[in-house]
Amino acid sequence: MDSMWQQSIDRLNSRREAVAAAGGADRIAKQHSSGKLTARERMEALFDDGTFVELNDEISSRCSDFGMDKKKRIGDGVVTGYGYIHGRIAFASSQDFTVGGGSLGEAHAMKICRAMDKAMEMKAPFISINDSGGARIEEGIDSLSGYADIFYRNTIASGVIPQISVIMGPCAGGACYSPAITDFIFMTDYSQMYITGPAVVKSVTGEEITSAALGGASVHSSTSGVAHFVYPDDLSCLNGVRQLLGYLPQSNEDYTLTVPGRTVDNSASLSDIVPADSKKAYDVRNVINSLVDENSFFEIQESFARNIIIGFARIDGETIGIIANQALYMAGSLEINASDKASRFIRFCDCFDIPLLTLVDVPAFLPGSQQEHGGIIRHGAKLLYAYSEATVPKVSLIMRKAYGGAYIAMNSKGTGADVVYAWPVAEIAVMGASGAVSIIGKKAIEAAEDPAAKREELLSEYNDKFMNPYIAAEHGYVDEVILPEETRTKIASAFKMLKTKDRTLPYKKHGNIPL
Amino acid sequence: MSKYRITVEGKTYEMDVELIGANGSVQPVAKAAPVVTAPAAAPAPAASKTAATSTGAVIAPMPGTILKVLKVQGDSVKAGEVVLVLEAMKMENEIVAPADGTISILTLTAGSTVAGGDLLFEVK
Repeated sequence: MDSMWQQSIDRLNSRREAVAAAGGADRIAKQHSSGKLTARERMEALFDDGTFVELNDEISSRCSDFGMDKKKRIGDGVVTGYGYIHGRIAFASSQDFTVGGGSLGEAHAMKICRAMDKAMEMKAPFISINDSGGARIEEGIDSLSGYADIFYRNTIASGVIPQISVIMGPCAGGACYSPAITDFIFMTDYSQMYITGPAVVKSVTGEEITSAALGGASVHSSTSGVAHFVYPDDLSCLNGVRQLLGYLPQSNEDYTLTVPGRTVDNSASLSDIVPADSKKAYDVRNVINSLVDENSFFEIQESFARNIIIGFARIDGETIGIIANQALYMAGSLEINASDKASRFIRFCDCFDIPLLTLVDVPAFLPGSQQEHGGIIRHGAKLLYAYSEATVPKVSLIMRKAYGGAYIAMNSKGTGADVVYAWPVAEIAVMGASGAVSIIGKKAIEAAEDPAAKREELLSEYNDKFMNPYIAAEHGYVDEVILPEETRTKIASAFKMLKTKDRTLPYKKHGNIPL
Repeated sequence: MSKYRITVEGKTYEMDVELIGANGSVQPVAKAAPVVTAPAAAPAPAASKTAATSTGAVIAPMPGTILKVLKVQGDSVKAGEVVLVLEAMKMENEIVAPADGTISILTLTAGSTVAGGDLLFEVK
């Protein structure tokens, strides 16, 4: 090899070293001491061992304002590329907080957009790891425009490939909106998301609040509903991303993996888990775990709107999405947050052809001025819209209560359910006995010699007549009344029958879901 | 390393699947599966999401009627112990103490009606 070769190779090697050195040993040590991994370590943890391939490692900022040319950073504070997760390709970006605080400038955004474009062309999931101080102020509106380029791609890719955002540090201002457009947001315990940070909040409103109290993982997983998953640290969080992807197809043109697991039928325990007395509560997660393949239930948003449970699971190795009323919280009633939570999940599953199982035990929409004034009409409507619009296989099991509009909203026959099962203890009615008798029996009770006795008589008549699943079955709203011990077999057979379901919507640009 | 049979569009493939742990260690896929919820571990029912404020005040999660009051003011309670039963939304909702302590406020009696957001009791 002649010396010209050697010089050229040396130059490349030194540039590679500069890329690998990222923000330098001190900043990397600081990142590690705060319990975080570096951008590249996160990529290694996300992908199958040794499969990560970096793209555009040399892209750098062209900005020369404010002395930016003097502190040129090769790579521009973000690592992008692809690798394999459970052997299937995925693309990702990972912001490097050690390089300029992970701030997003024009070149930084361009790198992310290129990786997103590749994900779209390869029809593969895109994972965005966020750890950034925000827009790079020196680059002015070019950095803002960089965000816009990302939002645009997030939106166009929505429903085509699964998009997952992982927040592992600060994510402030406009940076929040890319995660918000994507399908799932993961946060670590030491990450934060907010549109305006504590300093701005204080200067504008006078309110003093810590960054954790304003936009920490606990707030977003339980109060705002922004985050879907929270993990204590980087490693467990990235493992969670891998786990989630195991349930998903690569794109809307792909199929989910069949992952045979232990398919023990625990349906016989269902009559012990669910009290026949519909006034007694129980944890619906125990019902789910008895029905699905062992250990396959993967709950989403478990701390938000806990009156409804959502998540992925498998039956006979095939991914399904589960929506279940949770009797333990607010009696399983539907309200604004539960409607939003379930509707978005239903639409995700419909985008990616994941069949839906709905477990119904719902007393009503929650009454009250707080709900009405908060817009329960438009929020509740999302649930009806999402179920009606979904063309994937849709199976319902009415376990106990199914009352009024809430019954109709929970994947009823009329809104397109393919198969509706009910247990013999199911109560399917327009309203509860007490309310119904007060209205339809008002005159009879007033005219009676003993109004209290008359009321009791009417209550008993109403209960006998309506507090069962048989009228609904006779009228075809329930396809079959089944025993608890038959449940898994029946549900599995319904999904098997529905595998080739072909239902299409009329041509439209897109519908207008009540947002 | 686990062996899996995977069927894609009717074609069956046999695959060795291993999950690469975050620390680079190899874990079987099943290990990464979510932990199954402990059966019937009686988690704090009904109100705890809205109930546990920093002051130990427990708020009615929804409008309803007090069916039973199991404690009186001044009783000491353990976290998770049922203090009263709120009949609401066709359900007997057990409302529990958010923390260990003494019930400092409890004036409701069976038959009282409450609105969503009303104070039910307070534990100090």
